[in-house]
Amino acid sequence: MNFQEIIHRLLGYWMERDCVVQQPYDVEVGAGTMHPETFLRVLGPEPYRVAYVQPSRRPADGRYGENPNRLYKHYQLQVILKPAPEDIQDQYLDSLRALGIDLAGHDLRFEEDNWESPTLGAWGIGWQVLLDGMEITQFTYFQQAGGQDLMPISGEITYGLERIAAFVNDAESVHDLPWNSRFTYGEVRKREEYEFSRYSFELADVDMHFTLFDLYERECRRCLDNGCVLPAFDYCLKCSHTFNLLDSRSAISVTQRVDLIARVRALAVAVAGAYVEEDEQVPV
Amino acid sequence: MNKFLFELGTEEIPADMIAGGLEQLSRGLRAVLEENGVEVGAVSEFSSPRRLAVLIEGLPERQEDREETVQGPPRSIAFDDQDQPTAAARGFAGKVGVAVQELEVAETDRGEYLVARRTVEGLPVPDLLARALPAVVGGISWPKTMVWTESRFRFIRPLRWLLALWNGEVLDFELEGVHSGRSTHGHRFLGGGGPVEVAHPDGYVEALRQHFVLVDLEERRAKIARELQQQTPEGSSVLPDPDLERTVAFLNEFPTVLRGGFQERFLEIPREVLVTVMRHHQKYFALVDAEGRLQPWFLTVLNTEADAKGNIRKGHERVLEARLEDAAFFWNTDRQKPLAERVEALAEVMFQKELGSYLQKTERIRAICAGLADDPRLDEAARLCKADLTCDMVFEMPELQGIMGGLYARAEGLPEPVWKAIYEHYRPLAFEDDPPQTRAGALLSLADRADTVVGCFSAGIRPTSSSDPFGLRRQAQGAVQILLEHRLEVSLGRLLELAARGFEGVGPDVLEQVREIFEGRVRYVLREKGFDYDVLNAVFAAGVDNVYQASRRCEALQGIRGEADFEALAVAFKRMRNILTKETDELPPLREDLLAEKAESNLYQAFSRLQPGVDEDLEAGNYAEVLRALAGLRAPVDRFFDDVMVLTEEADLRRNRLRLLTDLSALFLQVADISEVVVARPSRP
Repeated sequence: MNFQEIIHRLLGYWMERDCVVQQPYDVEVGAGTMHPETFLRVLGPEPYRVAYVQPSRRPADGRYGENPNRLYKHYQLQVILKPAPEDIQDQYLDSLRALGIDLAGHDLRFEEDNWESPTLGAWGIGWQVLLDGMEITQFTYFQQAGGQDLMPISGEITYGLERIAAFVNDAESVHDLPWNSRFTYGEVRKREEYEFSRYSFELADVDMHFTLFDLYERECRRCLDNGCVLPAFDYCLKCSHTFNLLDSRSAISVTQRVDLIARVRALAVAVAGAYVEEDEQVPV
Repeated sequence: MNKFLFELGTEEIPADMIAGGLEQLSRGLRAVLEENGVEVGAVSEFSSPRRLAVLIEGLPERQEDREETVQGPPRSIAFDDQDQPTAAARGFAGKVGVAVQELEVAETDRGEYLVARRTVEGLPVPDLLARALPAVVGGISWPKTMVWTESRFRFIRPLRWLLALWNGEVLDFELEGVHSGRSTHGHRFLGGGGPVEVAHPDGYVEALRQHFVLVDLEERRAKIARELQQQTPEGSSVLPDPDLERTVAFLNEFPTVLRGGFQERFLEIPREVLVTVMRHHQKYFALVDAEGRLQPWFLTVLNTEADAKGNIRKGHERVLEARLEDAAFFWNTDRQKPLAERVEALAEVMFQKELGSYLQKTERIRAICAGLADDPRLDEAARLCKADLTCDMVFEMPELQGIMGGLYARAEGLPEPVWKAIYEHYRPLAFEDDPPQTRAGALLSLADRADTVVGCFSAGIRPTSSSDPFGLRRQAQGAVQILLEHRLEVSLGRLLELAARGFEGVGPDVLEQVREIFEGRVRYVLREKGFDYDVLNAVFAAGVDNVYQASRRCEALQGIRGEADFEALAVAFKRMRNILTKETDELPPLREDLLAEKAESNLYQAFSRLQPGVDEDLEAGNYAEVLRALAGLRAPVDRFFDDVMVLTEEADLRRNRLRLLTDLSALFLQVADISEVVVARPSRP
């Protein structure tokens, strides 16, 4: 089963279970959790169900397209079930069966792994799911986001699409994966991996990005001051990505790092607080 | 007699938390029964990642009936002028269900009161249990909990089923929306899907075994141990790893051991790295040949019955090889930049917010080392010991810090004392762990630890009785182990002072607190070595600044404490100390011409004869000889106390006698304050 079929099947599976099928967020993010359809939707009391693919950029993980496993950008398929149904683990396992994986013939287990994002002021309890020793999914019961205690509790399923595809296709390198019946993953993505690795390790203008960080932060605050939460969150995300870029350029000193993380976190907490507050006032 | 079985089903509990949770569940159930006067027979405990279960046998049907006394209103308002019961008395009788004429009067602290005596019928044990179960389950405390329901009930993972059987009957109760029943669940993939009905507690273990869940921990451990042997090829053996064996026993419901392999070229990566990748990252067992060389094989424990098509093995091999590929890459790229060139970059690696970077720590460690020994190789090791924190391998596998530095230093061709000192300077990691083997490694580790503890204390980071997040006690304890193991004649006070020079304004009060932490660990380690507590008290009263010598003094004292002369001397010494506390004036030096009584001049002469030999023995650290020699003073000391009036009215004589006793006791105090030794009833741990 090729890469895009896997995406198609998983989205189809969750579509049948009342999930809104969303599209990737169009701001650079490091993980599917940062998509507003997760970070903001898990706040507050309203039930929600959503599934989407999120290209996730991690500048420091770039390897110029030469490493079989590490990528500047990888694809996560993210599912949020709010509240988490009692049989959420079984639903997840059925989604693997929907990919044709015979679970009785493999070694699958849930091993403790509690997800935490200091920059988002978010954490949860859960597992990494290991299939024949490979981590294919992060499974989390969200407990806090943006510093807010959550209720109801959302279940988050984050599939590592490249890992699953490598498993299903018995591939040694991510670049050999069939994207579809004609093109490989490498053919589709290698140049992008190379150029963005170059950019984030060698080229990114450090001074400019420090300036941008400040500007984005200010814009986020200004949006919040004017009660405009969703645009504010965009600028919070931009701060986070800018931080990651500067980090991959080794431009951040010890003390700066702590300070910058705290600043992004403060924005995320302010956004989450405002989102819950403004919720009642928005005209429908 | 009756049997009670309780199983709580959850989503997967972290492997290292199952034993603790089960223990609490079992203890909680037994406590409920015991508090209600119910005798308990055999108790068995069962577990797997998805369940905790307790089986209690030999239970009676009902709690014993018991007599109960209920206090009512004071007598003064319970009877009227005609001595007839009032409304208060009748009301009380009605409330407790006793006829008015059966009420009695009892004397209490506050006067006379009405009391009712009644027999309380024992409750059926199943009712007791059903009522208590929710609180017992909710009372389990876990290291980290979550919420998943509106009630915000906290537990380790969501609760999914409750099986509660009193013999063949279901015990009815509810917890967080889950109702009890007789159903459990088998293995997620081999268990046939649906729930598994359990007719009677007797059939529980077998019913689950049929559905590929081995609920008996010992059965799982035995299966793993057996199959580890079976899967090990001729001529090889499993690198022993009891912790991992325990972990995998808690990680799997139906453990099965499988062997996989990796390409031989990866054996070029240092063994320490290979074992870490296999053990810590993949939970695999490593194999070695008869000479102890690592083999290109691994054993993994699966949570399934078999690998019929070989797919599982292939999957695990692929994952391991990808990780080894990374490790090989780091091993090659890290070495392109020598450790010496990495030191500067430590300025960017934070040690602790209040204590600056690792470059600063490196400089402090060097200064401490320089104060401990004049050894250029120790200095080089100190300069390079933290440089591996800038290596990719250590970034990926922090547990290899120090070890990688040592391996890279060896690969660079640095002298053995240098690379070995770097390699082992984090040891011992735990009490059971061995300290560094080399002297340079020992001194380096000592300096690193002293710097960490003194630095943290100076920044206000201190362990409390309940928490020690920076592991400062462990750091101090490692230092103590090193001092003892290497017989290092290092003064604790000097070590801490050297460390204090690295920080601004570490006052005597802070050093005193650090010293207390260290001395507490000295006491702990020596106690673990089997010394009696009073022996420790005696030696500590005489000071433990030189930790190694303190342990020698303990040995000497422990060896001689049971001997008759010594015991008598300890009694006499106690008298001596008591008398000495009564005179606070400065005493003049001893004058032989004032030794009026025969017993005192005898004692003085015996003491004077001993002194040169004792001084020599003290110098040489022959503490047993010192104590034996002192024990020889028993007779003159006894006679002294029998014949001589120490606290005489004649001031000159009195002060001279006190001086004699002071000198004598000072000699003892170089080894121990033996008045602390408990005589006649020696304690044993």
